Amino acid sequence: MVVILIVLLALVVLLLGWFFFAYNSLVRLKIRVDNAWSQIDVQLKRRHDLIPNLVESVKGYMAYEKDTLERVIKARTQAIDASGIKDKAQAENFLSQTLRSLFAVVERYPDLKANQNVLSLQEELTSTENKISFARQYYNDEVGRYNTLIEVVPTNIVAGAAGFAKRDFFEIEDKTQREAPKVQL
Amino acid sequence: MPFSFIDIEEKKTRLLGCLFFFVIFFYFLTAYLVLLILRNAFGPRDGFFWPSGMSVLAAFGIALFVALLHWATSTSHLIEKLSLSIGAMELDAKDFYHKGLQNIIDEVGVAVGGRRITGMVIPSVSLNAFALEDFQGRAVIGVTEGLLTRLNRSQLEAVVGHEAGHIVSGDCVTTTVTCALAELYDELFSRLKAGMQRSRGRGSVLILALFLIIFFMRFLSTLLRYFISRQKEYRADAVSVRLTRNPLSLAEALSLISTNWRGGGASGERLESIFIVNPNFSRLDEKQGVFSDVFSTHPPIAERIRILTDMAHVDTKTLEEHLKNDTWVSPVAQAEFTQADGGPSAWRVFADQEWKGPFGLEELQASGLLTPETWVKPEGSEKVAHAYEDETLLSVLSPQATEKKTKEEFACPHCRTALGELYYEGVPLQKCSHCDGVFAPSHKISRILIRKDKTFDPEIVRMAEATIRERDRRVDGFYKQKPVNAWVLDCPQCGRKMRRQFFVYSYPVEIDRCVYCEGIWFDRQELEILQYIYENKEHFFDDSSF
Repeated sequence: MVVILIVLLALVVLLLGWFFFAYNSLVRLKIRVDNAWSQIDVQLKRRHDLIPNLVESVKGYMAYEKDTLERVIKARTQAIDASGIKDKAQAENFLSQTLRSLFAVVERYPDLKANQNVLSLQEELTSTENKISFARQYYNDEVGRYNTLIEVVPTNIVAGAAGFAKRDFFEIEDKTQREAPKVQL
Repeated sequence: MPFSFIDIEEKKTRLLGCLFFFVIFFYFLTAYLVLLILRNAFGPRDGFFWPSGMSVLAAFGIALFVALLHWATSTSHLIEKLSLSIGAMELDAKDFYHKGLQNIIDEVGVAVGGRRITGMVIPSVSLNAFALEDFQGRAVIGVTEGLLTRLNRSQLEAVVGHEAGHIVSGDCVTTTVTCALAELYDELFSRLKAGMQRSRGRGSVLILALFLIIFFMRFLSTLLRYFISRQKEYRADAVSVRLTRNPLSLAEALSLISTNWRGGGASGERLESIFIVNPNFSRLDEKQGVFSDVFSTHPPIAERIRILTDMAHVDTKTLEEHLKNDTWVSPVAQAEFTQADGGPSAWRVFADQEWKGPFGLEELQASGLLTPETWVKPEGSEKVAHAYEDETLLSVLSPQATEKKTKEEFACPHCRTALGELYYEGVPLQKCSHCDGVFAPSHKISRILIRKDKTFDPEIVRMAEATIRERDRRVDGFYKQKPVNAWVLDCPQCGRKMRRQFFVYSYPVEIDRCVYCEGIWFDRQELEILQYIYENKEHFFDDSSF
């Protein structure tokens, strides 16, 4: 009787231990996902800050390209206002596209291409763009691990009991978008 | 998933513990051997003696003490010491290429989950890259100036990714510490060698004994270096691919690096293991097998490239063809670096009851004439306004801007006016807007000579050819001849007299060099002529004249 009791007790302790372990690793991963997301946020914010500068320095040269500039500004406002991962991803994608078209226009103005200010802004934006995609890559990797842990047996029991929800990937439709507005000047 | 820096810490301490143990063992072995020799040489002369338990313990104590001392001295200021001995410098925040490098490093830092990595650069034409890390987790990635110039952005990113791979997988800090430990022997060795040549007396016997011991230690330290497996290079390649998802660019970069000079002899002798490819080309590296696996610091490059090209589904031949036809030019090459905005670039200033000028922006700042209330008139227009009403001037008037400027206020040695800033191939230099002379510290000149962005006017080409012709014609008395008025100009940086001389005798462009701060003053076109001769040296020095 005592033996059975001890075995049962040991089993309970083991189970509890395993439960804590699984719970803790879920929490750890969740925090890492949050951290990765805040990194994307930092880079996105940086891009939003850079765009007005760029628009300002190309405005003088591009009197006939008002449309393009306005589209960039509008896309930026939309991206700032967007909330939620899916909406944000979409708005940021759109912003990337408009930026790409802006740089395509810049190509047609030799004065602009030789302008040091525009050149360094372009370098900054390209770099920020790369940082965004790297931060996204890191975020998606972390989300992948987190989601896997939530779905696999037996951790899914713990995740279900403690209410861990799956996260969304920060997705893009266009596969070629990485390093997108990288113009060969 | 081990390749995110959060997971590494534990593994790191374990490896370092191993390393420290190894060092203690090292010294114990040496102390024991010395003990053995001393006992048998000077002890009682009846048979061979093994040291007693007490003396072994003493030897161990000494070994422990020396090991601790060695460890402490070589691991303090780890990064500063090592970067000094390979000649790496900090990045110039204003330099266009350097800014790009720091950006790329920051990008890779984001890719590994947010980590601050400092950039460094070696002013050398060779192609190579390195990574360093100390105990506090301070990390440095450095590349040579040649690499910055020759590689395009994605290739550079792949190389930086490889170096970040070393840092992130935790092998960088072991490599760095091992290099630092071995470096100490090198220093002692070379100092003793110098000491040997100087002293011939009784002291030299003692030095000889020390010399032998250190020689032995150095041999062992070479072995210590092989504690670092060549496997880590493959792993770092893999991390680079995982981060940048671009195996082809890394293959291109490796192929370019392997077919050019890697900087052999330029860096410290024992430091090759921190570089992406071995700076000293060694046949051992290119071999496979157990022996070379143990005794070589780097794997065969051909094998590394093959793995990478396989990942990209390209064969090596195509890669080489592609590199031959690659016509990449840096963005800096095509930008003229003209005045940034469309506004006026020069102003007349009303001061002391008269209109003075016109002055450029930097000159105005340095002149001290400019206050927000000053009346100014843009050159070419008659519109008079307060300085604070002019947008360009207003930006300069802000306190930070004036503070920063007064620090580096240089005056033209000819015209005595303040020098303005000029970007020459992405390098910020000081230029006089009146006589077109340029002032450059010597470390910036090496950067300019390495970069090939500029296209030259026919006038410059003519003058460069004339310079070389002249050198060839009067070649007899040439080396004895001294330019007249050897000390004329004042150095813009330190105010001392500069010496008028040739840049070097094989590039006989006359320049003014400050012997104290090593700054060089180029009169109009002299810098361009020098650069043209340097960049076409194959053309000028194809015969026996060099």
